[in-house]
Amino acid sequence: MTRVLVTGATTPIGRALVHALLAEPTTELVLAVGAEPDPMPFGARAGARYGYRQVDLTRARELHDLLFADARELGVEVLVHNALHRRARDEGPRVHALNVECTRELLALSERHPTVRRFVFRSASAVYHLDPRRSTLLSEDDPLELSPDAPQKVRDRVEADLTVCTRMGMSRLGIVVLRCAEILTADIGSQLWDYLSSRVCLRPLGFDPMLDLLSLEDATRALALATRSSESGVFNVPGADVLPLSRAIQRWHRVGVPLPGPLLSPLYRLRASAFGMDFRYDLNHRRFHFSAVLVGRRAREKLGYVPSHPIRWPSG
Amino acid sequence: MPLRPSRSRLLSDVLLTRAERQALRNLDFRDAGHGFDVFGFEPDSLALAIGLGRFWYERYFRVESQGSEHLPRRGAAILAANHSGLLPIDGAMIVMDTVRHTAPPRVPRVIGDVFIPLMPWVGTVFSRVGVVAGSPGNFRHLLEAGELVLVFPEGAPGIGKGWKKRYQLQDWRVGHAELALRYRVPVVPVAVVGAEEAWPELGRIDAFHAFGAPFLPIPATPMPLPVRLHVRYGAPIALADRFDDPDDPSAVREAARTVRAAVEELIAQGLAQRKGLFL
Repeated sequence: MTRVLVTGATTPIGRALVHALLAEPTTELVLAVGAEPDPMPFGARAGARYGYRQVDLTRARELHDLLFADARELGVEVLVHNALHRRARDEGPRVHALNVECTRELLALSERHPTVRRFVFRSASAVYHLDPRRSTLLSEDDPLELSPDAPQKVRDRVEADLTVCTRMGMSRLGIVVLRCAEILTADIGSQLWDYLSSRVCLRPLGFDPMLDLLSLEDATRALALATRSSESGVFNVPGADVLPLSRAIQRWHRVGVPLPGPLLSPLYRLRASAFGMDFRYDLNHRRFHFSAVLVGRRAREKLGYVPSHPIRWPSG
Repeated sequence: MPLRPSRSRLLSDVLLTRAERQALRNLDFRDAGHGFDVFGFEPDSLALAIGLGRFWYERYFRVESQGSEHLPRRGAAILAANHSGLLPIDGAMIVMDTVRHTAPPRVPRVIGDVFIPLMPWVGTVFSRVGVVAGSPGNFRHLLEAGELVLVFPEGAPGIGKGWKKRYQLQDWRVGHAELALRYRVPVVPVAVVGAEEAWPELGRIDAFHAFGAPFLPIPATPMPLPVRLHVRYGAPIALADRFDDPDDPSAVREAARTVRAAVEELIAQGLAQRKGLFL
């Protein structure tokens, strides 16, 4: 029987994870945590197995009270940290506070918590440094994007990931970092989702890299498996859809227009300022040129995760 | 840019015989879900390339193949060949030859230089027909997946070796030997005779490094000469039976030397047996 705390519970993946955990008879309790009021009508159905707390995770006091009041009283054993800032265009200390400082604080609090024994962190494949001179297939041991020129979204992701990784083997907690391929769904911060929302998708002329895309269902499953498992470590979570960028545009019924690479960044900046879109070409520049596919062997062998739910591509 | 699969298929249907079409449709490849493998290889694009290459293989270079019985029918293996010509014509002809001489057809995954993905169009087209950028990680993955891998241990210096150095193997890299020992896979030596004279180099611009290229070759002729190419396969070498430790540098160097000697012997046989450049 497991008692789980899930942060980012109002995001699509957070909601899906809460659903999935409550569907398992072995889950004794889910304490969902979000920044907004409880959007889920779970209370009536799940009864005492479900609780919701509205918490601003960037405030250290609220975090402390969440863990040492609610979570302690409820005997939470597993903490799934899934709250990351979604908009790539937002930058600054508040975004950093949610992406990195909150992760650091949650981990520190969990380590001295009387009941929490496991910490699961949802990271992203964006942490990897894409280098065409290295392998197309990214394993957990591949280099991370440590360039100081990387956008804040990437730097934050890498810092949070490393913050959690550095405690592995030194902490009494079982720590899991899931480096998920891009989850192609709305309201989750997917850059590709935003990119594909345009009727016309501009892409670099002469390049058509392979993308690795993860469905919400598979991402949820990976998190649920990591919650239940006793394994610790870093795990890639690849998706069931590996395809060229041009094919993704085609499958989304969009018009792909190849243009010289240097034109794309200013054009997408213009688009963002005109329509308020979130897609940033500078954030995606490398993966729109060079293939990157996650190797999921470790997740398959240790967590039993195999991508099995393809993306629901729009029909006709 | 590779054509959409439907157009590739339509075109390759015109260019290939019914038997070839059937064989290539039944190609055993690891579909990552959308008709491509994880490296971007797409059988429809390969079928088109083979259709387009037919003229070059049969009429222009009139490829003569020997020893194809040494090509492993299944399981991981490494083909190690000499390299020459301004463009990788030798690689293309070995791929066509291997596909033609194996049933069901085996497509050698060519290990290309690491700068290939940096080149617009070239990188994409090469990946669609099965070329993989030559990083150790990619090489390892292909062997683990049981693929037939074609490697040119001379690398780019082989392509730019020039007329005077033809058939003199350049610095022979050892990575293939190490991986052959580590994964206990056989190495099939391959010699291409003719390609080293097919496109003479007038000179080269060493300062040209666009897209990571080591140099820019200047051809002496506007297109390759119609020399006859001879592709010769040697008996597979089980390096793992002769050398133990893939982490022992001297064992790996010795293993690579064994492969090199086998390729040199095949080249010598090919040169001795051919009747002339164009015959």
